[in-house]
Amino acid sequence: MPELNVILPNLMKRLPEFWKACGDTLLMEAWAGGIVFVFGLIFGIILTVTKPGGIMENRPIYQVLDKIINLFRSIPFIILLTALMPLSRWIMGTAIYVRGVIVPLVFGATPFFSRQVESALAQTDKGLIEAALSMGSSPFEVIFRVYLRESLAPIIRAITITIISLLGLTAMAGAVGAGGLGDFAIRYGHDRNMIDITWVVVSVLVIGVSVVQWLGEMLARKNTH
Amino acid sequence: MIELEHVVKNFHADKNNAIHAVNDVSLTINDGDIFGIIGFSGAGKSTLVRCINLLERPDSGSVRINGVEMTKLKPRELYKARTKIGMIFQQFNLMPSRTVFQNVAYPLKDMTKDEIKSKVRELLALVEIGEKENAYPSELSGGQKQRVAIARALANDPDILLCDEATSALDPQTTGAILQLLKDLNKKLGLTIVVITHEMEVVKNICRKAAVMDAGKIIESGDVFTIFSDPQHPVTRNFVRTTSNLSKIETLIKDDSPMVQLKPGELMARLVYIRADVSEPLISYASREFDIEINIILADVEIVAGAMVGGTVVIFNGPRERINRAIEYYRSKDIRVEVIKDAGA
Repeated sequence: MPELNVILPNLMKRLPEFWKACGDTLLMEAWAGGIVFVFGLIFGIILTVTKPGGIMENRPIYQVLDKIINLFRSIPFIILLTALMPLSRWIMGTAIYVRGVIVPLVFGATPFFSRQVESALAQTDKGLIEAALSMGSSPFEVIFRVYLRESLAPIIRAITITIISLLGLTAMAGAVGAGGLGDFAIRYGHDRNMIDITWVVVSVLVIGVSVVQWLGEMLARKNTH
Repeated sequence: MIELEHVVKNFHADKNNAIHAVNDVSLTINDGDIFGIIGFSGAGKSTLVRCINLLERPDSGSVRINGVEMTKLKPRELYKARTKIGMIFQQFNLMPSRTVFQNVAYPLKDMTKDEIKSKVRELLALVEIGEKENAYPSELSGGQKQRVAIARALANDPDILLCDEATSALDPQTTGAILQLLKDLNKKLGLTIVVITHEMEVVKNICRKAAVMDAGKIIESGDVFTIFSDPQHPVTRNFVRTTSNLSKIETLIKDDSPMVQLKPGELMARLVYIRADVSEPLISYASREFDIEINIILADVEIVAGAMVGGTVVIFNGPRERINRAIEYYRSKDIRVEVIKDAGA
């Protein structure tokens, strides 16, 4: 396609590198996203059930978890990236490339997702919890059969928002040698002033975010009665 | 049998401020009874009923159900015991993401799919809402929702059904239908029903016995007829009045309506029946016997627990000494006479 070579001269010369950047971004998103999902869900549930008035009220656990989440949420991600390098080397064996940023991505997004889950679960009508307990449900049954099931739509929305915000973090991670679309855009689009590359990367991200948003909204709506 | 002894439950707003939601309540509810607990909002009745299934754990006191001390049960045993105490709520509390069928199936455990299916269908037929099996709660009316909630509460064949303001969100007609359903279930299944309400109408309609609660304490209890016909405590009187037309007289007097303006020598009084077997023509007899005029301003007679309760507001006109004899006569017939307004002899 000669037209593309004219409109996007710099990109077309670096196509294999571009595809690899896309792949790296997806890889970071998938690995970090999967781990964030598991930990965030667990922490969000713990916050919900241990908070004052919760079904497994436990002040010390709630206070400690609450404070830790606040601590990590207040650290700017770019600082977290560098501060967690030693931990990353220890866990993953490296602090660069995709493997090297999974740890900071998880630390950056888990507190955010935990809060999202907490606020999704908080939308569950207290009366439903009370009704379930009155029918002889144990606290664990209430978590799985009432909290998670009845807040499915808000949890799906929380996942959507977290995937999108994680995408932003992966772009930043590019700056410290993680690869991916962020790195690609900075190295060529910004450093070498190749405007076409900046535009294409932004377009790809916009399309990605739109697809995730649309998919999330559709699933959430399907689960609302 | 539900036996509460010296149950206390406090809520702590802050360190120095405790709210005595339930303050030393003792109460016995027999098997097969329909027992009403009535009180204004904030009286502590919702907390009290939650002490029965331990949704609220009492600070002290004993809660025995069929002889078992609930406060001493281990968590597992408590969950099991709760399956035998159904509960329904003012806001129905159906799970919005589940269909009617799935809601009723929620508490059913350790059963095969087929067993669950037939049990749910049987329950839905019992509350007469079988055709809505696949509907979601958002598609149902309030009365239908409460029927589903009742079916769900009865899923594990409980001995007891706790109703927390179960009809307060329903219109009067639907309230009547739900109360009738509860009455039928009481008869058909021998279910013990505890009804929490702030509506005297509800108690009047289905309860045989009742307790009146105020500020965390039970201030009066007994069979419903006695409470209605002869309330002892001011709060109870207040309650009984809210359901009776006779209380309208106070409004009329306040508005100084022409209906209640007395001529000299007249006397206005409220006559209240406190016996269950009033059937004599009391007004016309007294009018003839004592040769006075008795003008009925308001009358309100209702059937409570199978007996008549109510009275009339009348204006006596005649020589004062004859009026007094008529009042003496009424009192001898166990009719409570309260003088409301006296224009003097």
